Amino acid sequence: MSGDGRHHGAGARPLDDPIELQVIVGALRAACEEMGATLVRSAHSANIKERRDASTALFDRDGEMVMQAEHIPVHLGSMPAAVNAVLALGQHPDVSWVLNDPFAGGTHLPDITVVTPIFVGAPRARLGQAVLQNTDTGHSPTPAGPLIGFAASRAHHADVGGRVPGSMPADSGTLEEEGVVISPRVLDAATIEELVAQMRNPRERRADLRAQLAANRTGALRLVELAERVGVGRLEEAMDAVLEYAERRARACIAALQDGVREAEDVLEAPEGDLVLRLKATVEGERLVLDFGGSAAQHDGNLNCPLAVTLSACWFAVRVLTDPDIPPSAGAYRPVEVVVPRGCLLNAEPGAAVAAGNVETSSRVADLVLAAFGRALGQGTMNNLTLGNDDFTYYETLGGGQGACEDADGPSGVHVAMSNTLNTPIEALERELPLLVNEYSLRRGSGGAGRQRGGDGVVRELEALSDMTFSLIAERRRHAPPGAGGGEPGERGRDTLIGADGEALRLPAKATGRLQAGERLRIETPGGGGCGPPPERDDLHPDQPDRCGDGPMGRIHV
Amino acid sequence: MLLGVDVGGTFTDAVLVDEDGSVFTAKAPSTPGEQQAGVMAAVEACLARARAGRHAGEVKRFAHGMTVATNALLEFSEGRPPARTALVATEGFTDVVELGRQARASLYRLCEAGPPPLAPPQLRFGAPERMGPAGPLRELDPRATERLLERLAQAQPEAVAVVLLHSYAHPRHERRLGELIAERLPDAHLSLSHELVGTFREYERASTTEVDAALSPLLATYLRRLGRQATELGLPAVQVMQSSGGLTDAGRAAAHAALTVLSGPAGGVGGALLLSEATGEREVLCFDMGGTSCDVCVIEEGRVAETAQRSVAGRPLALPALDIHTVGAGGGSIAWRDEGGALRVGPASAGAIPGPACYGLGGERATVTDANLLLGRLPPVMGSPRMGREDAPLAGTLEGTGGMRLDRGAAERAVGALARELALDPIACAEGIVRVAETEMRRALMVMTVERGIDPRRFALMPFGGAGPLHAAAMAAELEIERVLCPRACGVLSALGLAAAAARRDVSSTVMLAGAALTSDSLAGELTELVERATAELDEPPARVDVRYELRYRGQSFELTVAAELDPRDLFGGGVVLAGDTLHAGERPPVDPARLREAFEEAHEQRYGYRDERAEVELVNMRVSALGAPPPLSLRGIATQPPTRASQEIVFDGEALEAECLRGELPPGTRLEGPALCALPDSTLLIPPGWGGAVDEYGTVVLDRIT
Repeated sequence: MSGDGRHHGAGARPLDDPIELQVIVGALRAACEEMGATLVRSAHSANIKERRDASTALFDRDGEMVMQAEHIPVHLGSMPAAVNAVLALGQHPDVSWVLNDPFAGGTHLPDITVVTPIFVGAPRARLGQAVLQNTDTGHSPTPAGPLIGFAASRAHHADVGGRVPGSMPADSGTLEEEGVVISPRVLDAATIEELVAQMRNPRERRADLRAQLAANRTGALRLVELAERVGVGRLEEAMDAVLEYAERRARACIAALQDGVREAEDVLEAPEGDLVLRLKATVEGERLVLDFGGSAAQHDGNLNCPLAVTLSACWFAVRVLTDPDIPPSAGAYRPVEVVVPRGCLLNAEPGAAVAAGNVETSSRVADLVLAAFGRALGQGTMNNLTLGNDDFTYYETLGGGQGACEDADGPSGVHVAMSNTLNTPIEALERELPLLVNEYSLRRGSGGAGRQRGGDGVVRELEALSDMTFSLIAERRRHAPPGAGGGEPGERGRDTLIGADGEALRLPAKATGRLQAGERLRIETPGGGGCGPPPERDDLHPDQPDRCGDGPMGRIHV
Repeated sequence: MLLGVDVGGTFTDAVLVDEDGSVFTAKAPSTPGEQQAGVMAAVEACLARARAGRHAGEVKRFAHGMTVATNALLEFSEGRPPARTALVATEGFTDVVELGRQARASLYRLCEAGPPPLAPPQLRFGAPERMGPAGPLRELDPRATERLLERLAQAQPEAVAVVLLHSYAHPRHERRLGELIAERLPDAHLSLSHELVGTFREYERASTTEVDAALSPLLATYLRRLGRQATELGLPAVQVMQSSGGLTDAGRAAAHAALTVLSGPAGGVGGALLLSEATGEREVLCFDMGGTSCDVCVIEEGRVAETAQRSVAGRPLALPALDIHTVGAGGGSIAWRDEGGALRVGPASAGAIPGPACYGLGGERATVTDANLLLGRLPPVMGSPRMGREDAPLAGTLEGTGGMRLDRGAAERAVGALARELALDPIACAEGIVRVAETEMRRALMVMTVERGIDPRRFALMPFGGAGPLHAAAMAAELEIERVLCPRACGVLSALGLAAAAARRDVSSTVMLAGAALTSDSLAGELTELVERATAELDEPPARVDVRYELRYRGQSFELTVAAELDPRDLFGGGVVLAGDTLHAGERPPVDPARLREAFEEAHEQRYGYRDERAEVELVNMRVSALGAPPPLSLRGIATQPPTRASQEIVFDGEALEAECLRGELPPGTRLEGPALCALPDSTLLIPPGWGGAVDEYGTVVLDRIT
């Protein structure tokens, strides 16, 4: 899926054993979930433990993702890229790979991925045994059978070096400014030490990397057990069958959509001006082509996306539009082709800064796909706020309004798309940091009116109790999240710096600055778009088809 | 005599345990909406079965597990509010219950809503005050408070929840507001967050307090009605099972309904614990499967795993609860073919009405029970030969007192239809349904063991509930467990657990002690206060006092628990016995921060693989549980009537094997070898080939893997 940016899969083959299929699906899913539990349990950083910003997956020996434990949507499509990046490098038992290069299997630098090849015949650890201790990762001469697949785990590390704590600078212009770039390489004890030495809090980084290795070992153990139980040949057939099963179900869902071309256009609010993104979505029988031709070129800021992030966002949206119950395997995305010209903002060239691409641009890509299919849109941003001084760094993201659906109002005050991380309790925040929360409430009425209302955004006002810097990366400050089928747009987001004397200064969508003790930062997050004409204004939309969901053909512009 | 009554989704079970260890059981249909009717029917049926001449006045204790609070929460999600509930919170933060932790309910179903707030926006009021972590930032404004009380009174709430920021540490404003609200609204129920929860993290505390306020009026009404009827019959005052696995009196349960939200499943775990103690098996995996769901919990070193927080219907409850994991796989789970051509089972269930097709009550879709019947894994007549008329509503074709005759033809039609859709042989399809359902059950068992770093192979599996014993051996084989313990009362184990339960009080506090503040004196001070509160509320001398210290390295945002036990002879001496300590007679163990740190670091190393000797250790929360003495209870002296024996074909791996079918109670010493089927009074135990064992002195069937 690198190179020309085309990604599509092979054809289907029927499977004749509906029982074995479901049992294997269950076993693979359980294995991925156990990997995830191991990772969350053994990691150290709060980002992984509390916010669950991590994913785990199992792959077949050709690098096709057969199952994934679902935690964070933004990892969906980018896990296969990581395995693809190491596929040709030659595999040995007990030799794992590590990478974070957004242009060689990664997403943005804080997301570090560990990939472990799985061989049958390797020594079996005991069921339930703590695999954590075995963190020696040197080459071992263990005689082993054939390669049967890969285990991969990805976690958002709290820091990977670079210019600012947290490795998420609001104003980076090159990838190097954002932290240590790890091209795919063998992960052994020496590598761990070399890498963590370049990052803040090396002890925590070491623990998190070891947790990822432990997770992969868990996955490997379970896949080997399965191979021993059913036989290597049968397991391979079964993994093929799982991929094909997911593909069949995805094809059935796409076939239910009306054939035709849908277009959508939207913008990103870069400091230098709006960057236009375009999508042409074509449904043709059981196939869906998402073509982003005509979108803005890569820019000098950090809203750029590597292709893997764009794919993740597309697959998130496809999952929303089809059936979320389809097993999360690569098969589900075979009927979907994503076309992104190289050098475009959504398929940036190596070396481009990408910190905000993963958190913000990804949301807009998902919005484009949802809008093309007539959905009302959610807040479309994560409202990333970083505060800090010499004594502390604090990063939070804020929920907002979800777009309304055909049959339900949009939920209020939630993460709407590519993220689903938790907030920090006020009582914890105020105990730990020189901050006082003056208000945390729903921004009533900010959701777009409609037959179904868009969700409301939130209001969060923080007061600095000592001097600090702030960095805000947000979107939907200039352009409101649109409704659908005659529904009204949600309110735009609004950020205000309030001086100790009460004087208010409106901030741009991307802002950095200083807060002195007594100064306040008031963030009002966007509401979601409404769906269908508001009941009291039916007469204003006589010609609008009032459905949202798999909507009418036509152009949708913001 | 001890009486335990457990209300389930389909049946209400009653168990009487006599002084000589005789156990009498009875079932009556549950009566949702008026649970006391089913409770009294089961009690009377049970008394009638106890030997002649015994009456209600001889019942020494009446312990009750119920689902009134749980059901009200679940039904509220469908739009029926239990009580008109108001929320008073610090100004600027009244949306705390709606904002939650900002995560959406479902990753891809974007409009799936979280649980609706019990106190709607128009019934939320801002309190004119603000506490910070170190104390008041804004004093409670008297004039604005008066206006607040006025508006609150006008809203006419039936219940009020008060949740002020940082009240866990500084409850002064919350307490004062509580007094003023109680004066102004004497008839409204009042729940104060610091009294109920006492720990930090405002959303979890608010959610718990809101649930407490909203459900308490309903629970109070129920317990008042039940109490009146019980008194008329001559029964003692009712004791209510809490989510923590201990009993409390009706008054306290009515005042704090949040304590009893998981009352139902807690009884079964108590029953399992009782059997675990009796048989000396201290490592037991409990597997409770009924018609709609399957509950799993772990007994390790003779103690049930507990948690300080659980979610019910999407709402966090920051109160101690038994750590029980539930999945939607039961006998009534419906099998279906999805659009990808795979055989699926659940989560939809046929429930009690219409139930599985073979119940003959109009169900047409194949369920796990129908599949089991076709495979010969159920007796043709299910239920107790002593089952009386009270079971009639479920028993479509009752024959005399013979239990319920299952309709094999209906099961064949239902499974056959699905088999045709899947192009399978009906028997292969039936085996497939069971296998797929067992995959789901296996996942629940894995979550509670392997995913928590516990090796299931050193455990015995204890199945109970109507369907647990049917799948136990298969589950054991999957997890490489060598031993299955099927209790005699497996069909009514929850009610038995209630009869045997002890009283319990839990209190907790966020203390945030670290560095120079974490001293022997400060520890002893906090501990004394908590122990005094817990024991004062127990109303009897404590037989055991447990302390849980929740600690972390400073800067972490999660805590690890260090469990300890107080010396019951010297509660206020401040002596703390950490798990693993050996105490010598007369020795007083110290409350020593260094030992606490050591215990924490050991736990941290075990769980996360390292210690951080340079980091400061912070004591975040302390929790104290005071437990009363469990009633003396012996389980020996069971019926010795031999079971009837017949033969039946059972399908295993596509092959029909001739198997013995035993019907009725199994006297101690009875030897069993698979393939065999035991039609117990309230449940069915399947013994596959390769398993065998005997009935022990308590009536427990002990099965071991022999091949």
